[in-house]
Amino acid sequence: MSITLGIFIVILLITLGITYWAAKRTSTTADFYAADSRLTAAQNGFALAGDWCSAAAFLGFTGLTALYGMDGAFYALGPLVAFCTVLFLIAEPMRNTGKYTLGDVIRSRMQTRASLLAAIVGTVVVNFAYLMPQMAGAGVLVRLLTGISYDWAVIFVGVSMIVYVAFGGMLATTWVQIVKAVLMLSAGAIILVMILSLVHFNPLTLFADAEQKYTAKYLLPGNYLKNPFDQISLGLGYTLGLAGLPHVMTRFYTVPDAKTARRSVVWVMFLAGAFFAGTTLFGLAAANFVGQDVIRAADKGGNLTLPLLAQYLGGGKGSFGGDLMLGFVAAVAVATILAVVSALTLSTSGAIAHDFYVNWVKRGQVEGKQEVWIARVATVVIGVLAIALGILAQGVNVAVLVILAICVAASANFPVLILSLFWRRFNTGGVVGGMTVGLVSSVVLATIGPAMRGADALWPLVNPTIASLPLGFIGAVLGTFMWGRDAENEQRFDAFLLQVHTGVAPG
Amino acid sequence: MAGDGTSLEAAHASVKALIAVKLKYLVPMTIIFMVGYIGLTILAGFAKGLMGTKIIGSVNLGFVLIAFNYMLSWMLAIVYGRIAADKFDPLAAKAAAEITGRGN
Repeated sequence: MSITLGIFIVILLITLGITYWAAKRTSTTADFYAADSRLTAAQNGFALAGDWCSAAAFLGFTGLTALYGMDGAFYALGPLVAFCTVLFLIAEPMRNTGKYTLGDVIRSRMQTRASLLAAIVGTVVVNFAYLMPQMAGAGVLVRLLTGISYDWAVIFVGVSMIVYVAFGGMLATTWVQIVKAVLMLSAGAIILVMILSLVHFNPLTLFADAEQKYTAKYLLPGNYLKNPFDQISLGLGYTLGLAGLPHVMTRFYTVPDAKTARRSVVWVMFLAGAFFAGTTLFGLAAANFVGQDVIRAADKGGNLTLPLLAQYLGGGKGSFGGDLMLGFVAAVAVATILAVVSALTLSTSGAIAHDFYVNWVKRGQVEGKQEVWIARVATVVIGVLAIALGILAQGVNVAVLVILAICVAASANFPVLILSLFWRRFNTGGVVGGMTVGLVSSVVLATIGPAMRGADALWPLVNPTIASLPLGFIGAVLGTFMWGRDAENEQRFDAFLLQVHTGVAPG
Repeated sequence: MAGDGTSLEAAHASVKALIAVKLKYLVPMTIIFMVGYIGLTILAGFAKGLMGTKIIGSVNLGFVLIAFNYMLSWMLAIVYGRIAADKFDPLAAKAAAEITGRGN
């Protein structure tokens, strides 16, 4: 415990130092939301890796693999494949058309208040659905690691996140992400080398030992996701949903141009992809060395698998090496949560302060200096709300919210964004229709599904994306046709296309 | 700041050409990774026996295909970077210059 706390305090001091440094460089709106678009491809790549690897990825994938075998490896592969979607379709157009938010892109295409409002709703729902389980997870994790109570743990995480974002804006958030990504990748590399040295650098041994210990069934698919359609649904949710997460999309505004945005995606694909691939080996190693019974005893969901594996590799319980490794991994896990909640808070602040207050309520009539203050105030309000929700979430099943975040992103945000960028006839009716149908079908199907109702589920799939994604697209297309022809919008599309593909707005 | 009529028209033509080139490369590449990954999830759901076929030692077909998907994603990322730099960027730069009126 004391080693964990010690390492964590060092990480906290470093991040506060970064915030102090960043705060002095954050004075304009562009600084606050987009770090003045001056990051390099490598910096943004590391920060994206930080965004992408939430605690669910850092701790969850290893745990799932350890307990359920191949299904855990599917979970880990999904985010990497998702980056193909981001790389081919999203990153460069986002950089070219928006300024700070998803709302910016929709607004510059449609130029209507209703479509902006729809984009705001999509962003806020996804971000809060994502934020709440992260806060609850932080509460459990910090309590487990340091012994302080759940409520105080949530408050501590919330206050740190408010400080990073309100003072340091995107620059501080980015560097917190980078520090966390470096720590996470180093932890992964150390663990990998230690595992490989135990199996004489032959990773095949890990599979053979696992088969011997848990029979060949362990290495088959379907141990976790029993319904075949759930596998496919999860795959769809991952490949398209992660491309619809607002806090990830806004990262592309932090680089100067489309080429840098593209290169930063290639960076993250190698950084995060390598880590995700590693979690599959970590999971098998944990099942072999630590054992499923010990893992389940520590946490039913397997979320403490990686810390337990690290402890084993360091020399076991009670040894100095074991405590040191456990402390290091646990501290990185807390840093992971801090970095992700900060990014979510900043992105939500963009939707509330920039999209809603400045562009919707005030119709853009706000001075630059004032807008930064509005953003900071919004950050504090959102942070306090997140703390309250995190405390309320104690003991509540928040798993459904994680599913919901990905599902809404895939079924509402993704269709609307893609059609905005590539379909001439797409109009305000389509934005509102796609957002509404995608959102409502995701929420309804997720709440009547097994994640919420267990055996009484009225709908068989944990992850509803396979149904809600087509519904979202249908809603967008129907909405477009019901709205009727919008000649002005279709004419403007040519100019918009120039901007999407070159980054230069005509006129 | 704005270009005159003719150079804007040239920009529209250049972007049209750029979109055509992008479609030519991105449609097949998107199909490749979607088929690769969604195909994998379909096999995992409906062909468990096949996925359990041993390939190397205890490593079964499922894990081999997962590894293949990692390689495929990384390869596509590198290929996309190359294609974008060679084929897309020059056209985008040409169109951008035409928009700002400093074209040709």
